[in-house]
Amino acid sequence: MSLHNGTPAVLMLEDGTVFEGSACASTGEAFGEIVFNTSMSGYQEILSDPSYAGQIITMTYPHIGNYGVNDADAQSRGCFCRGLVVRDMCDVPSNFRATASLPDYLKQHGIVAIEGIDTRRLVRHVREHGAMKAVISTDVDGLATLQARLDASPSIVGVNLAEQVSCTEPYELPALEGEARRKVVALDCGIKTGILDGLRAHGCDVTVVPWNTSLADILALNPDGIFLSNGPGDPQAVAPAYELARRLVGKLPVFGICLGHQMLSIAAGADIVKLKYGHHGGNQPVMNLRTGAVEITAQNHGFGQVFESIGPLVPELSGGLAEHPDSLLYWSENRIAPVVESREFGRIQLTHVNLNDGTPEGMAFLDHPVFSVQYHPEADPGPHDSSYLFEAFSRLMDGRDDYLDIEVRANRDRAVGRERA
Amino acid sequence: MPRRDDIKKILIIGSGPIVIGQACEFDYSGTQACKVLMEDGYEVVLVNSNPATIMTDPAMATRTYVEPITAAVVERIIEEERPDALLPNMGGQTGLNCAVELAENGVLERYGVEMIGCDLKAIQKGEDRKLFAEAMERIGLEVARSGYAHSVADAEELADELGFPLVLRPSFTLGGAGGGIAYGMDELRDIVREGLELSPAGEVLVEESIIGWKEYEMEVMRDRCGNGIIVCSIENFDAMGVHTGDSITVAPAQTLTDVEYQSMRDASLAILEEIGVACGGSNVQFAVNPRDGRLIVIEMNPRVSRSSALASKATGFPIAKMAAKLAVGYTLDEIVNDITRATPACFEPSIDYVVVKIPRFAFEKFAGSDATLSTRMKAVGEIMAIGRTFEEALGKALRSLENGRSGLGRDGHDEFDETHFRSLVSTPTEHRIYYMAEALRRGMSAEELASLSLVDPWFIDRLADMVEVEGMFDGRALADIDARLMRLGKRYGLSDVQIAQLTGSTESQVRARRKELGVIGVFKTVDTCAGEFASQTSYYYKTYEDESEVRPCDRPKAMIIGAGPNRIGQGIEFDYCCVQASYTLSAMGYETIMVNCNPETVSTDYDTSDRLYFEPITYEDVMDIIDAEAPDGVVVTLGGQTPLKLAAALASEGVHIMGTQPAAIDLAEDRDRFSALLDELGISYPVAGVAESLDDALAVAERIGYPLLVRPSYVLGGRGMVIAYDEQYLERYMARAARVTPDHPVYLDAFLESATECDVDALCDGEEVYIGAILEHIEEAGIHSGDSACCTPPFSFSDAVLETLVDYTTKLALAVQTRGLVNIQFAVKDGKVYVIEVNPRASRTVPFVSKATGVPLAQYAARIMAGEKIASFNLPARHEDMGYYACKEAVMPFGRFPGAETMLGPEMKSTGEVMGIARDFPSAYAKTQLAIDYSLPKNGKVFISVCDREKRNIVPIAHALQDLGFSIVSTGGTGRLLRANGLDVEITRKMQETRPNIGDMIANGEISLLVNIPFGQETRGDSYHLRSAAVRHGICYVTTLAGANALAQAISAVRDGRLSPVALQDL
Repeated sequence: MSLHNGTPAVLMLEDGTVFEGSACASTGEAFGEIVFNTSMSGYQEILSDPSYAGQIITMTYPHIGNYGVNDADAQSRGCFCRGLVVRDMCDVPSNFRATASLPDYLKQHGIVAIEGIDTRRLVRHVREHGAMKAVISTDVDGLATLQARLDASPSIVGVNLAEQVSCTEPYELPALEGEARRKVVALDCGIKTGILDGLRAHGCDVTVVPWNTSLADILALNPDGIFLSNGPGDPQAVAPAYELARRLVGKLPVFGICLGHQMLSIAAGADIVKLKYGHHGGNQPVMNLRTGAVEITAQNHGFGQVFESIGPLVPELSGGLAEHPDSLLYWSENRIAPVVESREFGRIQLTHVNLNDGTPEGMAFLDHPVFSVQYHPEADPGPHDSSYLFEAFSRLMDGRDDYLDIEVRANRDRAVGRERA
Repeated sequence: MPRRDDIKKILIIGSGPIVIGQACEFDYSGTQACKVLMEDGYEVVLVNSNPATIMTDPAMATRTYVEPITAAVVERIIEEERPDALLPNMGGQTGLNCAVELAENGVLERYGVEMIGCDLKAIQKGEDRKLFAEAMERIGLEVARSGYAHSVADAEELADELGFPLVLRPSFTLGGAGGGIAYGMDELRDIVREGLELSPAGEVLVEESIIGWKEYEMEVMRDRCGNGIIVCSIENFDAMGVHTGDSITVAPAQTLTDVEYQSMRDASLAILEEIGVACGGSNVQFAVNPRDGRLIVIEMNPRVSRSSALASKATGFPIAKMAAKLAVGYTLDEIVNDITRATPACFEPSIDYVVVKIPRFAFEKFAGSDATLSTRMKAVGEIMAIGRTFEEALGKALRSLENGRSGLGRDGHDEFDETHFRSLVSTPTEHRIYYMAEALRRGMSAEELASLSLVDPWFIDRLADMVEVEGMFDGRALADIDARLMRLGKRYGLSDVQIAQLTGSTESQVRARRKELGVIGVFKTVDTCAGEFASQTSYYYKTYEDESEVRPCDRPKAMIIGAGPNRIGQGIEFDYCCVQASYTLSAMGYETIMVNCNPETVSTDYDTSDRLYFEPITYEDVMDIIDAEAPDGVVVTLGGQTPLKLAAALASEGVHIMGTQPAAIDLAEDRDRFSALLDELGISYPVAGVAESLDDALAVAERIGYPLLVRPSYVLGGRGMVIAYDEQYLERYMARAARVTPDHPVYLDAFLESATECDVDALCDGEEVYIGAILEHIEEAGIHSGDSACCTPPFSFSDAVLETLVDYTTKLALAVQTRGLVNIQFAVKDGKVYVIEVNPRASRTVPFVSKATGVPLAQYAARIMAGEKIASFNLPARHEDMGYYACKEAVMPFGRFPGAETMLGPEMKSTGEVMGIARDFPSAYAKTQLAIDYSLPKNGKVFISVCDREKRNIVPIAHALQDLGFSIVSTGGTGRLLRANGLDVEITRKMQETRPNIGDMIANGEISLLVNIPFGQETRGDSYHLRSAAVRHGICYVTTLAGANALAQAISAVRDGRLSPVALQDL
């Protein structure tokens, strides 16, 4: 924390709650939805994740900036979040990979940040009252007018943020090692570098296309599979993308992550709800219902699918149950991956459940080569337990039925081997 | 997968006595395991020789054996109890080694006992460095380049190949005992020679040095389905080269990018897979090259550890408890997170604060040993502190150590060795952190400090900020400190004492000013999830922020102040008392509040008390909690000296002290008033005097006569206490004794030579006194009671003496107005009873007495403090014939401090204790010796050397040893005496005479037992070298006549096979 020249700053929430601190990057004013992330490392990846567009990020770990930033760990070409809230900002980084300090990096990207905040109080407030609009401002004298400006600022709900972060022209990235085995088109709603690396590491040449690319243009590229990316905000505001997702089902193997999963969910007829305060962190336990194994996952989403709304259970494939149980945790407790009958795409299986709150985390279409997860198998930041899903996508493109049945454990040795190589 | 029903009875092996490298963290782990398995309906058979532990409380297990942890003893217990399974990884290295032996020698198979949690193969792979290195290679991880030496010549060869410096680690030793760093050939030879002797495998690992690299630990859990989680990462402040147990450590890791952290995580989980840890907790240590990030695996421990206890306290995730559940078949997703009670245990804790651990040392007790920190662990305890930032946590940690300091310097206690200042900045010692801060104050740049100390620049920058904030206070008047600065100071870890020093005011003035300014601490919750979910557990730490999370409560509140860090003179015994009181008061309807800062203990388990405050035990920090909680009463008499010191200050703030009042404590400690009381009661005590100068002292000596027991006022564990036999020695002592002033006088007591000492532990409610036990000391007067073996019931006192002891105890307990526990030390000489001291508080022997008699004294003390009367307890009448004898023996750490004096004296030096129970005293004593050394000499040569004073008394003992089959070796004087008394004696030369001499015989392994009874406290004489050699070569030795006598009887008992295991539940 800077002991000297901290410009006074405030964080104001929509409900009028005010936190006093001091500016620790760019000064000025930034409006956005307040969220918190519980990862203890990986702030650079988080700040450069386009899925945070429109949001002010609170880091729950108090010391942020310790190891600075470097070029290799960035998840996109810039910073799309609106602001950063921390307890203590570190000006002088210590790490052999550091190329700049975090405050300098934030200033370079024009991000407003505030430090000295009781972030734990903030987290508890958001936990109790839900995600809400907020503003960081170095104009600390006119709190009443600040409140008015905050009230007038747009909500994140119903806004198409993907178009703000997507690439505008297609571009190509080659497979990372050896012969490219497949060609994948990735629809960019705010794609992270880690995902592209995950695809490329599994032998995919990737063509990244803008979020609103037409089906015809995609098919013209003659890909082996389609990847639907993560991205910021409200999935219901990105109609062209989920329309595209609906039309892709059955045509080509499809894999979706996060927003991509939500696109496929909407396509399958699922309701989407806004979560009270979302999942943002690197320690969320998710069970793969097909193997019973638990993955510690990286997550970042404020909206979620309602699995039950896709359709009625298929009892013979759901442990004999005809009615949806009260909580999806029923399935993890009984190690059953239930199947519902969707209106349009046949049988859809719930493949993954969040063990903390029983929210759906992944699905597989049994009658089409399509699967998706709500969480982030590429991690960056976060544990690598779920990186097997990139392997699963490869298998899916190979036409294998057992594509999801991969042991997390077996994957671990590979993870070590890959990093050492 | 649900719990296993095919096993019903589970054997748990504890870690034995508290020794350096293996302390009460295993009581914490083992207690958790016992509790959770009992709750789950399993029968638990427990073996642990340490009576001070909470786990050996008879209520914690189905069957409790306070017996030596040897394969032979445990086999007999297995034979008796027929457990279905053995949980091997709760009792540290001792428990694990014993389990391995039982597996390797076929005992487990023979009795059909399944090892659960971790099998033999996995233990061997994790422990054996060769197998481990091969395993790491298979999964593509690097270990340091190394080789094994089975001789000094092997080591020299490896040194040529690997180059210096080299790290040397003997195989299979505790806490890195016998290891070290060699910078040259001579040093290499010395360390390897010693290491080969200490290693059970006769093997020393010689390894390329990675000194100066960053050091990390990962605490990992895995279930039998292969789900793996990292509970906590720990980064060491001290770079590689200092044993992690001796390092300041920080959680979570601070200077790793996520990419680096995740590769360490992947490696940790892959290592557990490869080693084959079926389920449970393990600890993996890494070194990272700060220049290029190269990652090296140092080691892994397939068991709970000191670090896992720390990680459990640091995160709120109870590793040992979970490990026990995993071992009986549960999977991580089936276990509920204790803290949130809503989410599963299968997750990785996220913490929103910083944890700092600092080890506590006791070098002052071991003059002559090297105080440089290295790969051999020397710390006797540790403390942990929690703050929202590193700075805040470090400041708290530095005032938790109970070493008189109140922060990172500028606390009125800075003292720097100017001559060696620079080298003390670079050399790791317990004081280095103060030198580092001072170097910054004196203008050393952060870069230079980092390169001198090899400490990561991130930590140095934090220290620099702390020093800068401290500087903002320097020289200002307290009245000029505004709220903004005051708050900044507190957020940067400054204590009120430091602020008082910096502003020329007092601690209470600072406190008043702080409150006036509204700078008041708030309490946050340790909740495993950084606030993401609501937490159901009241585990708090203080910080200076906006929101406090302390829950309201309408029950009466009782606050118990714990004992702080383990150190010599104050250990786990007091934690036992605090925990017992907490359980009892909770059962009586109190909301219990525990305050302590020792992460190794059961008291700092969040489910021991209703509320846990992990905070330093200082006036400031305790009063802040009292302000927040407003407890109805505070217990200060169960945690040893630490809480007792605060009693008067708390009382003067109007805090209700439960039980014995501070005035009574003062009375017992005030020598003049106390002597007057004894005179009034007609109770004898040794003649005494006080001296404020050498002349005073000589005058007192003239009046009382020699020998004299001499000690500084107000000390713990007999610090600086000696026996002076003549004027010359007294003069030398007075010259050495620092700061003898009217404020710090020296006490001189007539020393009752060859008197028998005893302790009495009793309860008193103000009306009635209940004698818990009379403990007869084995060693004669002059040996600190904490270092002396003792036995209950007493066996050598006449009925008249026993009656007098009971009478005096009753009179004194009532006269000092005790409400709770009281301990009185007596000396008995020629049938006359003298009072040595009265301590109206829990004593070190309370847990031992409770286990020996089955009367849980600390529980009753708590009930007395809450207002109940002894009459209502229906306590059994105490009688001196219990049908068995219970013996306690002290465990000495001399092996860790080569060069230190090993003789017993009035200054306490032991770290722990063991207990033996048997039908007769020799058998009970034999059990204690087995519990310490794991074997007793049965035959061979005994070397006897005795001072003139005791020469006549040794003869019967020598005869006894000869009858047992020992052949006797002696030097001149003693030899002549023994021959004259009809013994066969081989005469050899003294240590400092021409070789070959007794030193060579010891080095060559010819001597199996050493009886050396010196006179006085000569420190650098022949017998000093003799005892040092015995310690170095691990030879059983004894330095007192009474000890030699008891040992001879014990050896006889072992030979006759009289030792059968006894369960506490059967007494």
